[in-house]
Amino acid sequence: MKRLSLVMVFCFLAGLFTTPLFAADNFELSIPLPLTGGQAKFGEMEKKSYEIAAEEINAAGGIKGKKVVLSFEDSQGKPEISRAIAEKLIDVKKQPLIVGDYSSSSSKAIAAVAEERKTPYLVVTGAADDITQQNYKYVFRLNPSTAYYSSGLMSFMNEVVKPKTIAILYESSDFGTSGAKDMETQAAKVGMKVLVSEKYEKGAVDFKPILSKVKAAQPDVIYMVSYVMDASLLMKQIKELRIDTKLFAGGAAGFAIPEFIDNAKDAAEYVVTSSLWCTMATYPGAKEYGEKYKKLYGDFPSYHGAEAYSALYIVKDVLTRAKSWTPEDIRTAMKATDMMTAFGPIKFEDRDGYQNQNFMDTLVLQVINGEHHCIWPEKYASKKYMYPIPKWRDRK
Amino acid sequence: MTSVQIEVFLQTLIAGLLLGGLYALIGLGMTLIMGVMKIINLAHGELMMVAMYIAYWMFVLFHIDPYLSIFIATPILFLIGIALQKFLINPVLKVESILPENQVILTVGIGMVLANLATLFFKSDYRSTPVDYATNAFYLSDFWKTSPIELSLSVPWTVSFVFAVIITISLWFFLAKTDTGKSIRATAQDTDAALLMGVNVKLMRVVTFGIGAGLVGAAGCLFLPIYYLFPSLGGQFTLIAFVITILGGLGSTIGAIIGGLILGVFESMTATYVGMGWAPVGRFVIFVVCLIFLPGGVASILKRKRLGK
Repeated sequence: MKRLSLVMVFCFLAGLFTTPLFAADNFELSIPLPLTGGQAKFGEMEKKSYEIAAEEINAAGGIKGKKVVLSFEDSQGKPEISRAIAEKLIDVKKQPLIVGDYSSSSSKAIAAVAEERKTPYLVVTGAADDITQQNYKYVFRLNPSTAYYSSGLMSFMNEVVKPKTIAILYESSDFGTSGAKDMETQAAKVGMKVLVSEKYEKGAVDFKPILSKVKAAQPDVIYMVSYVMDASLLMKQIKELRIDTKLFAGGAAGFAIPEFIDNAKDAAEYVVTSSLWCTMATYPGAKEYGEKYKKLYGDFPSYHGAEAYSALYIVKDVLTRAKSWTPEDIRTAMKATDMMTAFGPIKFEDRDGYQNQNFMDTLVLQVINGEHHCIWPEKYASKKYMYPIPKWRDRK
Repeated sequence: MTSVQIEVFLQTLIAGLLLGGLYALIGLGMTLIMGVMKIINLAHGELMMVAMYIAYWMFVLFHIDPYLSIFIATPILFLIGIALQKFLINPVLKVESILPENQVILTVGIGMVLANLATLFFKSDYRSTPVDYATNAFYLSDFWKTSPIELSLSVPWTVSFVFAVIITISLWFFLAKTDTGKSIRATAQDTDAALLMGVNVKLMRVVTFGIGAGLVGAAGCLFLPIYYLFPSLGGQFTLIAFVITILGGLGSTIGAIIGGLILGVFESMTATYVGMGWAPVGRFVIFVVCLIFLPGGVASILKRKRLGK
């Protein structure tokens, strides 16, 4: 009996000393991410980006003197597992806020748990519109939703190109079809006439027949939704046929990556494409982060990585401002966020049917001298846009 | 028709003919093998993929132009074809089995192995050879200043087409004028008679498979400057070769050439006047229509004409 009470006292004392000791030094944050399964590629990229951010934050003195210690929970890209992880983090680990996960469906599952348990949740990459349209008070999203992906390109077209007609070519997949539909509604909104809207089978060899038809229709803009090899073939054959329009535009994906320029070469010149982020963006820290990532892992990160990297900086900012680290105070601090990150400006607003959504301008890239440059919005441009573009005949 | 409509029509026709010439070369190899051995080689597209990888690495490592790689890839593919026939297909031909088509199943297997080996060695990345002349073209308005319409003729497409024609003509010369060629034709027409006349049928089969593989290898090199490359590219070209073989009339070389041109023009016309998404549908429509109304393919029409004289 005596021994038992001794042990109990020891345990109590040990608990008394160790917990506050660790708690004083460390801020532990568990992040759910798909680290196995089909989405693992992006999960890995985000994990690396969180780690880069944590290292930088710790090197600069941590958050209010506490060291950030990250751990990752594998959600396998399955919403039911994400849900279980969120429940564990809130109920067992008593984590005062949740950050992360990749897909829209996983983010949606976590959002429901977080709202129910009144714990703030920062969505990092889930892009489905409805995540921040459900009157949730505790769910914040830093990335723009799908409906806003092409907003940058649309504003560039409206303010600079002012096209009256458009031709849309798209791949006959889910991705291509939804991209083309989105452009059709956007075009209708601003009174642009869709002259041709044609889908093609991925992997086609010869686009010249369809392009001759486009040429005959004489649209102001050709908008293409394609993966990289089709994108290169399309631009090469447009050059061959000398189709002159005011603008060649791509819907992100294949047009926004360096391989597009490698393959299409000079045919890629002056092509614009919408993009959420690029290392060329003039946001503070964007370039440094991109280069650090490339040095460590050999490739430039895509926007997913930048979102994750910036998410941790938002957490730092919020926790620094919060009165106490309880969910309620963190929520209040999160709501008041107004900061600049490597991913762009972050401010959580309620408008257009969204709650706690960060509305930011998506970027427009243009290929200038064989390199992607950020040209729109002008305040973040790394280079002045080239418009009007020269006719094919006049290019050397 | 207005000049714009004429321009679209002519440009489509040009695109179709250029594409058709290349299709014909792909179809020729399969047709030749079909004629002599009475089997469809379903690893045809994968052999083309192998040749394309050879040409690709020649370009990357030694800066050899894909068109010059024809003289490297074709002999290699010829040897691969001979090896496949000798060590894999011939042994299976000998075995009596319930399924008479087990050689065809074997070729499917060979195709899968090749595609997966390529994925293993070269990853499933897309690759292309960025040659300097990739987007060069001849323009009608450069030659005829006051032309009311503008037509363009892509340099690499035209070069590929010309090569395809040269290879096709050499093949015809080989089959018509040389002893080996005549023996191959004899084997294709009647194996037993050829055997009785002293033709080494076994050797002819091996040689034919080699030539078929070599032809599609050359086609691969011609496609590389205008297209791109990935391990699972074979399937779609096997399908095209198959349709051409049926359209041309199982085993007829002239049939295959005409069949290839018909398919190329038909696909381009479908893309312009119906919709590009319909091109694969058009391919199958041709296939089915041909099987129902013209089971002998183009060759049967040619034969009827000749008999009529």
